Amino acid sequence: MLAEAVNVLASADKVTGSLGSVAYGLAAIGPGIGVGIIFGQGVQAIARQPELTNVIRQNMLLGFALTEALALIGFVVPFVHK
Amino acid sequence: MSAPHLLASGSGDEFEAPGLHIFDWGPLIPSGPAWLDWLTKPTLIVILAGLLITVFAWRAFGNPKLVPKGVQNVGEVGYLFVRDQVARPMIGKDGDKWMPFLFSTFFFVLFMNLAGVVPVLQLPATSHIAIPIVLAIVVYLMMLFLSIKHQGLVGYFKNMMFPPGLPAPLYIILAPIELLSNIVLRPFTHAVRLFANMFAGHLLIAFFSTVAWWFLAEKLTVLGAGVGVVGFLMTIIMTAFEIFVQSLQAFIFTLLAASYIGGALHPDH
Amino acid sequence: MVRPAKSEEEHRPDPGSEDSDHRGFANAAWAIPSYILSGMAVYGGLGKLLDHWLGTSALFPIGILVGLALAIYLVFHRYGR
Repeated sequence: MLAEAVNVLASADKVTGSLGSVAYGLAAIGPGIGVGIIFGQGVQAIARQPELTNVIRQNMLLGFALTEALALIGFVVPFVHK
Repeated sequence: MSAPHLLASGSGDEFEAPGLHIFDWGPLIPSGPAWLDWLTKPTLIVILAGLLITVFAWRAFGNPKLVPKGVQNVGEVGYLFVRDQVARPMIGKDGDKWMPFLFSTFFFVLFMNLAGVVPVLQLPATSHIAIPIVLAIVVYLMMLFLSIKHQGLVGYFKNMMFPPGLPAPLYIILAPIELLSNIVLRPFTHAVRLFANMFAGHLLIAFFSTVAWWFLAEKLTVLGAGVGVVGFLMTIIMTAFEIFVQSLQAFIFTLLAASYIGGALHPDH
Repeated sequence: MVRPAKSEEEHRPDPGSEDSDHRGFANAAWAIPSYILSGMAVYGGLGKLLDHWLGTSALFPIGILVGLALAIYLVFHRYGR
């Protein structure tokens, strides 16, 4: 296993494999955290002030749309930039 | 042909992670007659799931007692869950009419998913895209039929493609987005959500169990033992997590089916 | 006979409206990714076709971004205030 790691380090000037998948994996981290924060805080806000439920839900949806767009940009970048 | 041996198919001295080949299953009886070639492991799981839900519903609701006991208890809890969490919130007051469909969809998908953690089967049948796609197409055709029946052909496309309150030129550039989103991408995402979750989950479990088997049983070294223990623990954790994800995905699949049916019946939302 | 029932109904919040709000919210949350994807697919595809015909290479990413912006505008219009 150690020898394998050394090999990987030695061939650092050349990266092969399905890099698009790796890139999407990395690109999905941020939006994943963002969507979690949006819905988590949104549920908390609704629990604290149930009378504002409709306003909070609208803002949750808009924030979700903007965050989800980032994840989907990461999804199409491998198609654009080959 | 033991299961770990099949997973760790690397022949050399290097660890080989399980790839897509763990989803390829030939005919169940390799030297059987040609007309039995359709009987592969995923097909068998689908048949078993179908039989299981038939028996389950029969035992639960075939001869109902006023005071439920045994299987009827489980069946009633499941029925109430689907009715109160899926049918009524998503379809509305006439949701009870759709309960037979939603109940069988939920438990059919659930049983097929749970086959991924049942010791001998160990393959979620829904990790083959064909099966979610067939289920999604059934829901999709039903949604199209109901929409056209309840809103009319012109009304359906008008409600879908032209949301009120936009300036007229914008309709020309926004209508294709609505059309593609509602007609093409809807059944696609419906099926892919279920498929991708089951596929990735099965691959994860296979990966960690292969790591554990390789570093603890086949090539036990001082350095590798730690990795093997981590893989073993992760296998257990991921299996528990998979049970959760499998139930959740069955719920979400049913929820989306109900949401599409509800949207077809009441177009105002 | 009818009056008490009516006044009672006025005090009680309508159970149906909360249900339909919940349904609208759930539908929207599930529909948003597919709106954004289809926006990118429609205008990205248009850009790719134009690239193919005109021999350029910049229109595909531009089309994707335009489609993204239009899809987010559509989502804001549908589910915003």
